[in-house]
Amino acid sequence: MGGRPIAITTFIAEPMAQRRAGLWTDAWRRLRRNRLALVAATYLLGLVGVAILAVFWTPYSTTHQGIVLPYQGPTPAHPLGGDSLGRDVLSRLMEGAQISLLVGVGTQVVVLALGVPLGLLAGYFRSWLDAALSLLINIFYGVPDLLVALILIVLLGHSGLGQIIFAIAVTRWMDMARLVRGQAMSLREREFVEAARSCGSGTFKILFRHLLPNALGPIIVQATLGIPQAILFEAFLSFLGLGVQPPTPSWGSMAADGVQAIRISPHIVLAPTIALSVTLMAFNFVGDGLRDALDPRQRR
Amino acid sequence: MSPPLLEVRDLRIRFFTEDGEVRAVEGVSFDLQEGEILGIVGESGCGKSMTALSIMGLVPEPGRVTGGEIRFKGRDLLSMAPDEVRDIRGKDIAMIFQDPLSSLNPVLKTGFQVAEPMLAHQRADKRRALARAVDLLRQVRVPAAEQRARDYPFQLSGGMRQRAMIAMGLANAPSMLIADEPTTALDVTVQAQILDLLRTLNRETRTAIVLITHNLAVVAGLCSRVIVMYAGQIVEEGSVFDLFERPQHPYTWLLLRSVPRLDRTRPERLRSIEGLPPDLIAPPPGCRFHPRCPFRIEPCFTEPPPLQEVGPGQRAACWVTMRRAHEEMGAATLLDVRPGAGSGVHGPIREPHRG
Amino acid sequence: MVESGSAPLVRVENVSKHFPVRLGATLKAVDGVSFEIRSGECLGLVGESGCGKSTLGRLIARLIPVTSGRIVFDGIDLTRLGGRRLRRLRRDFQMIFQDPFASLDPRMTVGDIIAEPLANYGLSRGRARDRRVQELLEVVGLSPSFVNRYPHEFSGGQRQRIGIARALALQPRLVICDEPVSALDVSIQSQIINLLEDLRHRFHLTYLFIAHDLAVVRHISDRVLVMYLGKIVEVADSGEIYAAPRHPYTRALLSAVPLPDPRKERRRSLVELAGEIPSPISPPPGCRFHTRCPLAEVPGICSEQEPPLEEKEPAHLAACHFSDRVSAMGALEPPGDGPPAAPVAGEPPPRRGTLLTDPSPGWPAPGA
Repeated sequence: MGGRPIAITTFIAEPMAQRRAGLWTDAWRRLRRNRLALVAATYLLGLVGVAILAVFWTPYSTTHQGIVLPYQGPTPAHPLGGDSLGRDVLSRLMEGAQISLLVGVGTQVVVLALGVPLGLLAGYFRSWLDAALSLLINIFYGVPDLLVALILIVLLGHSGLGQIIFAIAVTRWMDMARLVRGQAMSLREREFVEAARSCGSGTFKILFRHLLPNALGPIIVQATLGIPQAILFEAFLSFLGLGVQPPTPSWGSMAADGVQAIRISPHIVLAPTIALSVTLMAFNFVGDGLRDALDPRQRR
Repeated sequence: MSPPLLEVRDLRIRFFTEDGEVRAVEGVSFDLQEGEILGIVGESGCGKSMTALSIMGLVPEPGRVTGGEIRFKGRDLLSMAPDEVRDIRGKDIAMIFQDPLSSLNPVLKTGFQVAEPMLAHQRADKRRALARAVDLLRQVRVPAAEQRARDYPFQLSGGMRQRAMIAMGLANAPSMLIADEPTTALDVTVQAQILDLLRTLNRETRTAIVLITHNLAVVAGLCSRVIVMYAGQIVEEGSVFDLFERPQHPYTWLLLRSVPRLDRTRPERLRSIEGLPPDLIAPPPGCRFHPRCPFRIEPCFTEPPPLQEVGPGQRAACWVTMRRAHEEMGAATLLDVRPGAGSGVHGPIREPHRG
Repeated sequence: MVESGSAPLVRVENVSKHFPVRLGATLKAVDGVSFEIRSGECLGLVGESGCGKSTLGRLIARLIPVTSGRIVFDGIDLTRLGGRRLRRLRRDFQMIFQDPFASLDPRMTVGDIIAEPLANYGLSRGRARDRRVQELLEVVGLSPSFVNRYPHEFSGGQRQRIGIARALALQPRLVICDEPVSALDVSIQSQIINLLEDLRHRFHLTYLFIAHDLAVVRHISDRVLVMYLGKIVEVADSGEIYAAPRHPYTRALLSAVPLPDPRKERRRSLVELAGEIPSPISPPPGCRFHTRCPLAEVPGICSEQEPPLEEKEPAHLAACHFSDRVSAMGALEPPGDGPPAAPVAGEPPPRRGTLLTDPSPGWPAPGA
């Protein structure tokens, strides 16, 4: 009989946990592999940089008229030319980015503040609360959002940025509320929520420590995809002259300004619309990328 | 003995994942005789289902059969042209799955789905196929078969759906039926009926059955021969009597003693298998079971044991075998389970202080 | 805490739970059920899917309210309790859930999960709480170093251990185990069953053990309660219920459980049940089992009169008009055990190395 006994201490039969990346780390790894989303995110970061820069510095004043000749085409000094009143389009575009981002993000902040608690409460408690919320949502879906926004802007008086954000958010909160409600409804049936209740966790804790963190992925995606909608809505309102009041530049009002002269000076319309399209696209790409990264099951 | 219906030789299946290559099945070889019921037993992730799926050519992405042969009636399924294989699979070899609800199309009537394989393979006209579908449903003892054939799957109970799946599998009178956990999702009374049905079908139609399950008890009544798999390999193979009464591989031995038995008058403490199955990206060297094995000798750590004859018609992949463990440790020591053992808790349980 | 095993810790009195399904119709998941859970015992609750066993577990855990009836826990009627008073009492009855992948919040660390009940009741804080969490991890056989890991890093069995640690954190008196092992692999199942048995004895726990697997239930329980279609059909000692069932449904259930023994399996006779489980929305009149019962007199007393759950033998209750005919359905195990297992013949593998006799934890040391 050969061989000698092997020391017992060399084995640990203790179950070892497999080391795997955390949920967020995992999501980040997936996101990083999505080229399109990364390019889009880089663009958006650049845009945020430009918007912040515009607070302190623009190449020219955004409101002074006659800096260039009205309808002036692009020149080396004014790469995007001048508008109908001879203002520098590039400078106005930069400040317009500020407006668009503020409106986009601001709207979503209000949407989150309205939609998340309402959705969580309705989805978790169901009963009359849910019925009331569903009714409210359906009413809001039924009324044309432009009409709601117009009425609100008129009611709230002369439109500052805050009023516009609020008006847009009021027409846009339903999707978020509905999403969060659905998430809460399916999560509340999960055993870990029952487990939390059975170990004495209160409602507030269940809503905000268990339901909300688990619904965060879809919420982030929804909010990201809601930003371009809000930006577009603001541009549309401004195009109609109901948004940000002149002389503050908004991409929508800038486009409106150029429409009459679209044949002679297309750059006035093109600059803000291209900026708008690219930005909207970028937000959508990032949103899709986030969706894929945060919820890999939805792919394919 | 006539040549086997199915010969699997040195089958290898790997999954190419981000974290590495998962060696899901490694060097699996076995035969299935005509008209035989073979059981393949093992825990989740042991490769039993992948082995079955590879016979059907259904190994899911990112998995791939990387080696070996699967010979059906003497012809290698792995090297055949796709058309030829399609002709055999679903016609001569049928498969039924654990969850009949997700295997049946929810928007098609049950009768039509049972008839579908006939339409696909034999070009029988639709009316004849549908009539035969009703016959098949009757054969698998679906009550009021004509009516059930007109029902949609969701209108049937779990047991009836599994019967419909079996009828579908039998549509082309296959010579071999693979049943992958056919009763796991069912209640115990329904399970007994389905097992009974499989037994009867085997007797009446001589269809060979490969029964894949994690439940040893299910295998005991139905199968004549049993293969036990662990971590992608066969660890023991033999007749159902040898395997249950004289298991030679410690894994089989432990598995049999880790399930509570209804027929034990005074329930004894269960034996458990410490630890977890290995990570198949980097399986342990030597015998894959050695980190969890209570009977180890030096070679177990370094040399993979071959599947070798341990009795007539019984093979085990073990350097020690239970016979030696019996002889050296004595039956009394082997069967003794101390209170507190086998719960995965090491060292005495401490009373948590009252908080 | 009493360990006598006789004083009732929980009294369930005529409890029903009806769920509204569609206009006018109700699903009677649990319908007029009465029983006791004795202090210190493990009461098994067994039945097939849809029999109401999980609903009953959740009613006792007060996760859902009863439709009618009373659940008296240690002298206090839980069904009338709400808010703060209920929360205070919750400490005493905790639950272990079926699905170890769904019962742990994936966004929380193991430490936070186990600390949650402690935080809820303000039990220990700061360093002491961390220590307690680590201690609980050790008690269930996990390394205390796992506190900062997330549930998805663990296997099913390990997650179930985490769930058990959470349930034990509040030092409950009653633990409701809802199918705690049915989602686990065979070899892991036995670890968890053994662990639950040990914990019960160490901490003088009372268990309500809910499962569909009769063998598991019988193994761990002192008494077994069998449910069918929202009703209790039989209650007896776990030895008794196998040896001499007094309800035909129990008898059929027992005959359907496969045994890991090829000789017994081949001689076994299955009690075939006619048809399928009726819908709990419109249960059959009279005895609910009469549509499938091999003993039923239909039309007759079985389809007209609901049999009460009554004592047929000392401490053995059954709800059947013909409980004395159940034994005539045939013995579960025909006599004769077959030949005893003989040692294998044939050539043993070449003998090498020295067998390690105590290489693995939990193995008896030589001469121990």
